Amino acid sequence: MMIKRDLLILFVLACGAGAMPYIGSEFAVSMALTCLMYVALSTSWALFCGTTRYMSLATAAFFGIGAYAGALALELLPWGLVIALGAVLAAGVAALMGAAVLHLRGTYFAVLTFGMTELIRHAITYWEKQVTGTVGRVLMVVPDRDTVYLSVLGLAVLAVLCTIVVRRSRFGLALVGIGADEQRAQTLGVNTRLVKVAGFALTAAFAGAVGAAMSVRWTYIDPATVFNPFIGFQTVLIALIGGAATLWGPLIAAVVFSLLAETLRLQMPQLYMMSLGMLLILCVLYLPGGLASLRFPRAAR
Amino acid sequence: MSQKPAAGLKRRTLVQAAAASAALGFPAIASAQAAPVRIGYTMARTGPWTTGAQVSQEPNYLLWAEQQNAAGGLLVKGVRRPIELIASDDRSDIETCVRSYEKLMGSDKVDLILAPWGSNANFAVAPLANRFGYPLLGPTALSRRLIEMKLPYFFSLLQQPAPMMNALVDMLKAQGVRTMTAIYVDDLFGLENYAALKVALQGTGISLLEDKSYPLGVKDLSPVLRSMKDKQPDAFVGLTYPPDTILASRQAKEIGFNPKFFYGSVGTAFQLYRNVMAASAEGVLGMGSWNSKSSPAAKAYFDAHVKKFGAAKEPDRWASGATWAGLEILTAAVAKVGLDKKAIRDFVAAGTHETLLGKIRFAGSENIGTPGTVGQWQKGEFEVVWPKANATATLIAPKPNWV
Amino acid sequence: MSLGSWAELIASGLITGGVYALVALGLNLQYGLMRILNIAHGEFLMLGAFLTWAAHESLGWSPLLMLPVSFLLLGALGLAIHRLVFRRLTLTSANLDVFEARGLMVSFGLMFLVQNFAQSVWGGDLRGYDYLAEPVAIGGAQFAGNKLLLLGLALVISGALIALLRLTLLGKGVRALMQSPTGAQLVGIDTERLHPLMFGLGLGLSGLAGCLLSMSYTISPGMGEPYTVTALIVITLGGFGSMTGALVGGLGLGVVEALGMHFSNPSLKSLLSYGIFIAVLLWRPNGLFTRK
Repeated sequence: MMIKRDLLILFVLACGAGAMPYIGSEFAVSMALTCLMYVALSTSWALFCGTTRYMSLATAAFFGIGAYAGALALELLPWGLVIALGAVLAAGVAALMGAAVLHLRGTYFAVLTFGMTELIRHAITYWEKQVTGTVGRVLMVVPDRDTVYLSVLGLAVLAVLCTIVVRRSRFGLALVGIGADEQRAQTLGVNTRLVKVAGFALTAAFAGAVGAAMSVRWTYIDPATVFNPFIGFQTVLIALIGGAATLWGPLIAAVVFSLLAETLRLQMPQLYMMSLGMLLILCVLYLPGGLASLRFPRAAR
Repeated sequence: MSQKPAAGLKRRTLVQAAAASAALGFPAIASAQAAPVRIGYTMARTGPWTTGAQVSQEPNYLLWAEQQNAAGGLLVKGVRRPIELIASDDRSDIETCVRSYEKLMGSDKVDLILAPWGSNANFAVAPLANRFGYPLLGPTALSRRLIEMKLPYFFSLLQQPAPMMNALVDMLKAQGVRTMTAIYVDDLFGLENYAALKVALQGTGISLLEDKSYPLGVKDLSPVLRSMKDKQPDAFVGLTYPPDTILASRQAKEIGFNPKFFYGSVGTAFQLYRNVMAASAEGVLGMGSWNSKSSPAAKAYFDAHVKKFGAAKEPDRWASGATWAGLEILTAAVAKVGLDKKAIRDFVAAGTHETLLGKIRFAGSENIGTPGTVGQWQKGEFEVVWPKANATATLIAPKPNWV
Repeated sequence: MSLGSWAELIASGLITGGVYALVALGLNLQYGLMRILNIAHGEFLMLGAFLTWAAHESLGWSPLLMLPVSFLLLGALGLAIHRLVFRRLTLTSANLDVFEARGLMVSFGLMFLVQNFAQSVWGGDLRGYDYLAEPVAIGGAQFAGNKLLLLGLALVISGALIALLRLTLLGKGVRALMQSPTGAQLVGIDTERLHPLMFGLGLGLSGLAGCLLSMSYTISPGMGEPYTVTALIVITLGGFGSMTGALVGGLGLGVVEALGMHFSNPSLKSLLSYGIFIAVLLWRPNGLFTRK
């Protein structure tokens, strides 16, 4: 019953978003693109981090890896494969990272993922400088705006679809179980290590794919831009405020905040950032399940 | 007899007065009816790019619009039309830049656009402008790669790394420098300039004793500077951004590193440098290409800038000049060919333009009219000291010890 | 390189390390005692720097005067923040893990709030002033006066804090709480009063470090973040909750960075710092100095 309803809502939203390039103005399409990017990022983040309560700050790392993969492969592979490459590389790095660090809990894990992001950024900067003698990449041959838009839309839809499916699967239940009480889950026979690594890699795959898709908009990418920690921070903030354990929470929050950012930018840009911070604090204090838990209380903790 | 001249005088003055009021009234009526010229841009008002953007670029845009509007508006093929600036904060974020320019050019369909700050933003916006067919003059976009993209609608006003480094090395060689150490920032700017420096040094007999790169946002350069001090080079070259230029200068002063020639890149030409270093700025070399002595147009611009923004906000002696020159070129283009974007583009590409920096002309996207230059702080003013043709003062060599 | 130059190099490493230690001590106090990982720590350092600069520019106050003032002001701010925010978290969190996670998120929000607040008030321009910048010659080496002051004060304050914790009753209470919260409460140590006090102390130290830094470095709203990161690295190396570890770790990191910069280049140094950080977290998650 529920799954049909969720799928229907997703279908309607996807159609609406898909019609944008044909009926909307340039600006509306750009706006929608930003919304979709954050929908994809925060929904996929919440898929793993919302359920297992492992707060990952490594979104920027995977985004950047995807962007670089895209830059390197852009002239060698067709567009679809470029995105896929971004996803696969990011997932690979995540699997390695995860295998090494997912035995640590809570704050250690968060701090470590942040450190990893910076490490990867510095490593790529250094490599590029010493080995290739450059520091950024110019993307000469880029696909047109509609292709990029539809790709990101596809990724966003896929992220939500993934969440819908995973939530009802054994994998999803295992994730939730780990979040509730990891030791208990282990005693009940869940291979927590494998499940965690798989979930982390899944999150990373989406971030990598989005990175590959979005970077073509900027023509020139360098480590400072694509490994910008702010991308990670904003994703986390949106997912948490929306309700990391819910299905629609991150999506609604992504749309609301992208629109809010744009409106406030024109009047008072710092107000947007300050209100994000304030909202997060208020949410954590008074509404730990996020805004969506107001509407879907069964998902709240 | 006395009546006639008086009457004649009265009539003449009356006619003159009528003519004058008609002349005054006419443009007022004309501009009240003329549609405004809508010019769009985004600028960093928050975020890491703010310092550069708010010193070198946005104030010039505002000053220009004000000046033009005070004269009745921008001259568009004989008709004066008021300028309407449509600007927003891009928060030093490229995606925001791209989105905003897409809106300005695609949805709002503004008449003209002005460039955002910095190479990264221009990399993103230039292809966009090219696609929509809007000429874009970028005064703070500095990269060989941008030129190599061969976008017909994009023009870079600032001198490229090669001419700047060639000028520096020529000057140092003429001064008998034999040894040098260098630091450079881990960014496209640093790397391109470093590569250009190495090329320029070939065959000059100047040996590069030590060179180190450092990451953006470095907090401490003193270990590097100390080991360079040990090597006692004749010249120190910093291919740096404003925060690092200041950091390197302050720390060199702290540890007593006094090479005969001390060169910092971006930021040396800022008033901020003089504010922070005070008397220690004397003799420091950097990237600068003009000051108010360069030409009458330069003086007029400098005075107008200080008048509008106050003595605490002088234009910087490098990129600000390039920004103003770009606006001068745009003004001339619109006056001649109107608001046809392709015609403007052709005008800019083909002509030799008189600006406060001298003659500017373009080969593709590159400004080949302005030579590479070197500037130096002398008694509170940043003078151009090389090449001799553009110099506003003679080089002080060696640099006096830090005070 | 001559012996004098080596001494200079190591000394400059110690100076940088002194600041790291000061910032790390504050962060450690908050984490070791209260398991609050305050990612916004560096932002309060930035506030201390800006307040000192503002007082210097508009009121003409000497930064030395601002040392205790910024300490007290930021300390008071810390008390307020703890009361408003963290106390409620303590009351509503089911267990320590949840509290830690929520504390992290809250400090995340604080970071955004404070940094952008500073930017809206003071703008994005670089600012700076010179204080005690005249060089002082010691042996064959030359240092700026304010840098020596920085090192001296950092050592004195760190030492004082460690002494406070070891020798006074208050300090013993804090250490007891760190070892075993329930046990400490059982013997009558007042958690209610100690927590806000220590949180305030931590922030006060941060503000103090900011005041010291403003004398010799340019200040901007974004200056705090790198210090938070370095402080995290230091307390990881030294052990979460160990004061001496934070001091030694901070000074050590400063020296290692200085040497690293000399032998390679600053770009590689960043890579190394993070590499060491990750390695230590993986190999010895409880730090290099704690006994387990």
